[in-house]
Amino acid sequence: MLTFAEEILLLMLDDEDGTFLPTRTSAVEYVLAGAVLLDLAFASRIDTDERQLLVLDQTPTGDPILDRVLTRISNSSSTRDTRAWIEKITSEDTDEIRSMALDSLVKRGVLEARDEKFLWVFRSRRYPIVDGRAEREAKLRVTGVLLSDDIPDPRDVAMICLVDACGILPDIFSEREIERATPRIEQLRKMDLIGQEVGGAVAEIERSIMMAAVHAPHY
Amino acid sequence: MPMEMEEDKIASLSVVSPIGRVDGLVAPDLEKRISRIVESGDTRVLLDCGRMSYISSAGLRAVLASARQCQQAGGKLALCALQPACKTVFEVSGFLSIIDHHDTRDAAVAAES
Repeated sequence: MLTFAEEILLLMLDDEDGTFLPTRTSAVEYVLAGAVLLDLAFASRIDTDERQLLVLDQTPTGDPILDRVLTRISNSSSTRDTRAWIEKITSEDTDEIRSMALDSLVKRGVLEARDEKFLWVFRSRRYPIVDGRAEREAKLRVTGVLLSDDIPDPRDVAMICLVDACGILPDIFSEREIERATPRIEQLRKMDLIGQEVGGAVAEIERSIMMAAVHAPHY
Repeated sequence: MPMEMEEDKIASLSVVSPIGRVDGLVAPDLEKRISRIVESGDTRVLLDCGRMSYISSAGLRAVLASARQCQQAGGKLALCALQPACKTVFEVSGFLSIIDHHDTRDAAVAAES
């Protein structure tokens, strides 16, 4: 099974050229941090409520990224809430999370890493999809949950929270489908407490950026 | 970790009453025990929360997974007697918009059985 970080990165890739789709400002970092916390929660290593995030079990999961974050949380002398941990992981671990998740997808044969140069100098890396089954399955799950009224699986709820927070739903659905699914999205985005905090963190940073832009001196 | 919990049968309802905290340590046990009830053919489950003092995100996931399992088996999971602290968590997470809730066990039995 793919981790949440691997699945969300797959969904963020443009099917055509293997580049990343444009996402909401700073959203990717927060979403990746939240993805790791969700994986730890689903692996019964951490638990959260509205006030704190607690370690239930320090036993390594075997996934290097999850274990790195689990060790960081376990060794922390202060108790923080979910939002504070999302912010801390965002500032300290998201580059590693992204590169290790992409490496894992390449190793599993889902993606291919292709280095290219543009303007003869600048290097860029694209990740064309080699085996589209995992991505199709993830998209089908998201679609299935959003377009039905059934009680959702907790894992699918978490995934919807991440997809919604990074603003890539318009890349998966038509405008009409999004309009139809809006009440369901609003319902599901609240249903996982960690997912809720990821969405809140992204919304807050967007508000701060907007306020800074409004109050910036105009020359 | 096994959780302290009572199980009853009232009319067509299997009533499950967790006692104390429903957190990540006991949530898997709650989910497992409801799953056993559903697999035995009793797909209408009432989760009596009258003695539930706390619920964490892991507890909420266990309730959601159980409600889904009941629905998929053609039945239903309903909640009753939520205490104020837990009710707030269920409200904030939007659970009460997809899982029916009754103020008392009697009201739930009357409505659901």
